[in-house]
This record gives sequence, C-alpha cells and structure tokens, in this order.
Amino acid sequence: MHLLTGWIVALLLLALMRPFFPDRPLLTTLVPAALALAVLLIYPRDLLLFEFWAGAVGFVAILSALLVVMHPNPMISVLFLILHLFCIALFYLMLQAQVLAALQVIVYAGAIMVLFVFVVMLLNLKAEEGLRLGRGFQRTGGLLVGTVFAGLMFWAIRHRQDRPYFDPGAFVEGFGTAKDLGFLLYGRYVFAFEAASILLVAAMVGAVVLAKRRLQ
Amino acid sequence: MIRVEFFLILAALLFTIGCVGVLIRRNVIVMLMCVEVMLNSVNLTFVAFAREGQSMTGHVFVFFVMTVAAAEAAVGLAIVIALFRRRRTTDVDDANLMRW
Repeated sequence: MHLLTGWIVALLLLALMRPFFPDRPLLTTLVPAALALAVLLIYPRDLLLFEFWAGAVGFVAILSALLVVMHPNPMISVLFLILHLFCIALFYLMLQAQVLAALQVIVYAGAIMVLFVFVVMLLNLKAEEGLRLGRGFQRTGGLLVGTVFAGLMFWAIRHRQDRPYFDPGAFVEGFGTAKDLGFLLYGRYVFAFEAASILLVAAMVGAVVLAKRRLQ
Repeated sequence: MIRVEFFLILAALLFTIGCVGVLIRRNVIVMLMCVEVMLNSVNLTFVAFAREGQSMTGHVFVFFVMTVAAAEAAVGLAIVIALFRRRRTTDVDDANLMRW
C-alpha cells in the first residue's frame, strides 16, 4: 500500500522534468505536481515510511534504466545512467551497506561515468535518427529473450523456500561498515583482493595499448 | 517491514531491461552502458541477500564486481575509440570484419 503511494508520487513528480521537454504546455506540469502534493497531504506519514521511499526510488531506477536503453541521444543516456546509479546507491543505504553506497557514488557515478561522458564528448556522437534497434530478427529475438529471462527469474523468486520479512529500521551490529568490509577484504579474501589489483593493472595496460594511435 | 522479494524483483526487472538493451541497441557505447545496468542489478541482488542473511560476503562480491566493471569500462571504451578511429562509426553492424 505504502509502496504504491511512493510509485504514484514519483510518477506525478515526473512532470517536474519539464526542462527536458520544453514544447509541452505548462498545464501538464502543474496538474500532476498538484496531484502529487495532494497525495502527500492525504498520506503525510508515508514520507517517514521505508516502503514509500523504496517505491519511489525503485520507480525512478526503472524509469531511468528504460531511458538509458531507449533514448536516441547517447549523451542523455549517460546522464540517465548516472541518475540510475544514484538510485542504486540509495538502495544500498536502505539495505545497510553504507560503504558500498559511498563506493557506488565515488567509483561508479564518479569515475566510470566520467569516462563514459568523456568518450561520448570526444567522439562527438550525435543522436541517432530514428533510433536504430537492429534488424527485425534482432529486435524480436531480443524482446523474446528478455521476456523469457524475466519470466524465469520471477518464477525462481516466487518459488524460494524461505520468505522472511526484515525490518529496515533495525540496525544489525557489525554489518556494512568500513571496518567489517576491511576485515573481510584483508583477511579471508586477501588473495582475491591482490588478484583484483593485477586485473586493474592489466586492464590499464590494455586500454593504453588499444587506444594508442601507432605502436612503436 | 519489507520483503527481500521487492529488491529481487526490482533487480530482475533492471537486469531484463539491460539485457534487452544489449540485444537491440546497435551503438557500442549504449551497449556498454546497458552492461553497467545489468552489473548493477546483480550488485543489488547481492546486497539484498547479504542483508537478508546478515552475511558480509555479498558485500565483498559487490566490491569485486565494481572492480571488474571499472576494468571492463576502461578496456571497452578503449576499443570503441580504436574502432571509431578506423571506421568513423560506433555502430556494431559496421564492425563485422571477424563475422563468419
């Protein structure tokens, strides 16, 4: 129920994205925004509820992922991917993974997305005309594979054995802090941690070699 | 109170969106971004299960997935730049030299 209010409010507040669609009449912005305010006034306590925020952030995450896939302009796609990564970071916070939320913002939304923005700007990519979505069999095949895949995953989730609730407000001691993660990384998983450094060096050398104009 | 299923179904949806994106888009950079969406949905599943089972191992996995994603993005974008330099395009249908 509270999940639903979150979805509705997020949906209505989408109308505030008017700067992206400058040719829309003003009324289509004001009416949904007023409706969102009305919903919030009817259920003001929902603002303090975990479910409300989970629903709202989930809605924004799905919508931004769809826009990453569907938008013809790669630059806008990159910007929506950054929004998507922020939503995932918020989910990490909700699931008490504070370090990972910080890492998500710093490494993903910071470093990796800067790389993407840089390449899109460097190649000076224009928006595709008419959004090329592959040939006929690629499109239908892709949608088919996606549907089958989603069905399989939903089936697997439905048929899990244990379905516990967990209280998002409850703080689990010794979970999700930098100290706990550090103990694991430098203790049990120290070998994998060192192997990751080798992987990063290899990737760095590979990227430099690949992007070089002429190998001497 | 919230069920862990909420996060699992959300992650499944996001993974499907990314998967379909990789399959139907023809722009290499957008395909790489869709791969990032898929990796992030898997990370969300890891974190949700870690919270459910109260075990930090899932967080370690997410850490390594982030490392691999960084390496993948760097190498992938270097390949895109090399491709663009030779062919003046980022369309995968124009890069079919090794296709049988």
